Amino acid sequence: MTSPILTRLRPSATQGAMRRAKLLLLAPALVSTAGCVQVSAPDKPIEINLNINIRQEVVVRLQEDVRDLIEKNPGVF
Amino acid sequence: MNRRTKTVLAAALAGVLLVGTAGAAFAFQADAAASLRASGQVGEQADGYLGVVGSAPAGVRAQVDSVNIKRRAYYTDLAAKRGAKIEEVAATTACELLRTKVAPGQFYRGTDGTWQKRDGSPVPLPAYCG
Repeated sequence: MTSPILTRLRPSATQGAMRRAKLLLLAPALVSTAGCVQVSAPDKPIEINLNINIRQEVVVRLQEDVRDLIEKNPGVF
Repeated sequence: MNRRTKTVLAAALAGVLLVGTAGAAFAFQADAAASLRASGQVGEQADGYLGVVGSAPAGVRAQVDSVNIKRRAYYTDLAAKRGAKIEEVAATTACELLRTKVAPGQFYRGTDGTWQKRDGSPVPLPAYCG
């Protein structure tokens, strides 16, 4: 009377093992996606670049607007 | 006191708290950049943004980030209006800020990337500042 129950149990046990194995295979993929997300999230909102290549005539052209901008936004500048 | 009265009172209290917080935030904004420069933990950079000198507490870094995000928005806006690059507007602003806003004893960072403390003489400006 016990043998039919055992035979019924066996396949499901194998399926469980298969499921675990699939999960194990998936795990590295999940870890690598999580890694990608972490890399793409910047810890600083603005990239500081001090290597500025700019011509003086551009500075002269923008100077008046910039003075105005600074004057009107004392908290930010 | 019934439930309705309690709810009304709670809402009123929440409202007062909200207004108070917003007021405090506004008071901070009024001279945020100037007080950050005056703290000695923050300086002006040649790229047009504030920078943290050495290792500052997270609170200071958060304030710097908040100011820089606003600067970036203004630079982007002006650049679009004048058909210039954002970096060009930012660098032009840096010339002006280094010239007028960095007081003696405060920090600045030139194009060489090193932090300097301004002494009695004016901040040396990048060549393109004119």
